[in-house]
Amino acid sequence: MRYSKILITISRLILPFLLMFSIYIIINGDISVGGGFQGGVIMATSYLLYYFIIGEHPFSINKMLKLDKYIFIALPVVIIISLFMRGQYFTNAFSMDFPYEVRRLFLLVLNLIIGFKVAVGFVSLFIVFLEEGNS
Amino acid sequence: MNKIRSVFVIGAILFLMLQILWHINGDDMSYNRLSQDYYIEKGLEETSSKNLVTAIYLDYRLFDSFFETSTLLIAVTGIAFMAIKDEDLL
Repeated sequence: MRYSKILITISRLILPFLLMFSIYIIINGDISVGGGFQGGVIMATSYLLYYFIIGEHPFSINKMLKLDKYIFIALPVVIIISLFMRGQYFTNAFSMDFPYEVRRLFLLVLNLIIGFKVAVGFVSLFIVFLEEGNS
Repeated sequence: MNKIRSVFVIGAILFLMLQILWHINGDDMSYNRLSQDYYIEKGLEETSSKNLVTAIYLDYRLFDSFFETSTLLIAVTGIAFMAIKDEDLL
């Protein structure tokens, strides 16, 4: 499917900045506004721009759903670390004696996992609708 | 008969909601600010997050956000299952 040249050029211009902005929002989720979900949605939107540029989607729905499940399994694995380090479920893995910079790592990892999971979920949603629209 | 039953069911649900509201707030109908004050006061030192939204969904309510992400997975899988007709794609 061919799109107009203006849309393709503008998409090429915006795409790297949008990807960078999404990763910025995910990484700074705990010290400023934003978080995992918002950054993941922006990342999925940049995938839509990528589809505008090349005209076809490179990932198959099968692989994306499988990746989604694997990232979903990684989430409780990170959550349960606090049981071995502090003896408590569902809280920060580092106890309150550590400095803020170390305890921030837990929030960072969880934000990254949630962000990538949301991005993969929305990308597979886009792929489902694109398959339906083109067939 | 059906209408009377629906009115009775709606009345019962409203009565239960009022009971829960009364149970949470006590006799005065103003909002209580217990958890709000607690989060603002101790949010930074307990969770090391400057953003209070992140402090709540990644530390205080981590159990909730775990199942919240699972709803997205189930929704996407269900849409893919219902929308794609080709057997070889799935």
